Amino acid sequence: MLFQQIANGIATGAVYALTTLGLTMVYGVLRVLHVAHAGIYALGAYVGLVAFRFLESFWLSLLVAMVVCAAAGILVERFLYTPLLHLPRIVPLIGSIGLFIAMEEAFRIVAGPYALAYETEIRFLSLGLGPLRLTAPQSLIFTVTMLLLGLLWLLLSRSTLGLAMRATAMDADTTATFGVDTRLIVSLTFAIGSALAGAAGVLIGVYDNQVWPTMGSIPAYKCLAIVVLGGLGNIPGSVLASFLIGLAETLLIGVVAIPFPRDALAFVAMILVLMFRPRGLLGKG
Amino acid sequence: MIPLLEVRNLEVTYGEFAAVRGISFDIRDGDLLTIIGANGAGKSTTLRAVMGLLRPRSGQILFRGAEITREPAHLRARRGIRLVPEGRRILPDLSVEENLRLGAYTVPRPGDVADGIERAFTLFPRLKERARQAGKTLSGGEQQMLAIARALMSQPRLLLLDEVSLGLMPILVEQTFATIQALHRHGATILLVEQNARMALAIATRAYVLETGSITLSGTAADLAADPKVKQAYLGG
Repeated sequence: MLFQQIANGIATGAVYALTTLGLTMVYGVLRVLHVAHAGIYALGAYVGLVAFRFLESFWLSLLVAMVVCAAAGILVERFLYTPLLHLPRIVPLIGSIGLFIAMEEAFRIVAGPYALAYETEIRFLSLGLGPLRLTAPQSLIFTVTMLLLGLLWLLLSRSTLGLAMRATAMDADTTATFGVDTRLIVSLTFAIGSALAGAAGVLIGVYDNQVWPTMGSIPAYKCLAIVVLGGLGNIPGSVLASFLIGLAETLLIGVVAIPFPRDALAFVAMILVLMFRPRGLLGKG
Repeated sequence: MIPLLEVRNLEVTYGEFAAVRGISFDIRDGDLLTIIGANGAGKSTTLRAVMGLLRPRSGQILFRGAEITREPAHLRARRGIRLVPEGRRILPDLSVEENLRLGAYTVPRPGDVADGIERAFTLFPRLKERARQAGKTLSGGEQQMLAIARALMSQPRLLLLDEVSLGLMPILVEQTFATIQALHRHGATILLVEQNARMALAIATRAYVLETGSITLSGTAADLAADPKVKQAYLGG
């Protein structure tokens, strides 16, 4: 029971990590709370499902969903946020909420109001350590997440492009004076963050065996809470906070069985962090 | 001969306030030009407009004969213009070495980047000791060294220096000016903007005096240093 819940928590945390990473990267370069990111996540699930029905390959459908979401992310940045950036910060935020609602409605109109079955037969090895065993779908989620996080880490810490991305997030004007096309870097950051959200959408679709129009509603606000918990714009902090919340949710509600709505837990954590450590777990003072 | 940089009737405004009011000047290869003036005279604004961080209201900026007035900063950087900004603007969470690597962003060959880092460490051995430290942990003097070294990584055609002596201890001011003079002797073309008029005029070849957004005097650095008006206003009588 306990180990089963830990396994659930790891899988949940992994999906949170993939989703919140994009959010924290976007905040890093534009200082915008990108609520519509959860719409990209749901878009990824839908695109993944359609691609899977045509291609009948999980891996190919994952790739297609990530590419489509990357493109969608660039469109959001170019046509929604960048034109609004010179205005007070509440304006792009309202734009973002509006886009998110519009996306949910668009999914409903195009795909219908009901959940669509996402039936994949996952043939994947089952990972385990001692008494802790992950089921095949959990192993898949964990493996894909770790692979993507590893690639992102390599990109950011080992490449010139990653150096330019980190520098742009710290001080775009100064970075541009060294020949870095910071507008391109911002778009690229959106593309990568959105591709990760798309992957998260596909993984959740596969895990829950369904895709539905409002599947992004809870992640939309929960991921904001996780980003604040980890420290706004802090990538390792977001990953840590994601796994903490994933584990806390499954353990406190599944094992300790406290009578508390599961989805509210991230907010309790966020409120505590705002009260006692406003810069977040790993945020800089 | 075409000047390296030519600025014609440059006007830069912040809202209603005209910070730079139609100034013209040029820099030739090998010049060490200085623009001196009081705080708020428009010196930093001029440099930021040349780098492309501010949009001029009117006027023209030409680099090696090509008009760059509307070109974004990163393309000007690729033409070989580098700015050491006021306040140094070290990227706080990047290490010293990463700051230098960013300075070499336009350098295509990894071998040349490595050579550049070696040159920077030879020029400022202090930076070598601190290579792995985050930029924000450096002292003000070390940050200034890093800001200059970072701007030199791409071997720029034109180096813009904005108030490099500001906030440094007197001994470090002397060292910084000695470094600038050495760079100039090795062939660098430099536009130096300074409140420390005495030091700037001592090492410059030519000079302009900027007062409330307009150029009021120009000439060789030696002539300006001997000018009674300059002496009285900027050199403490």
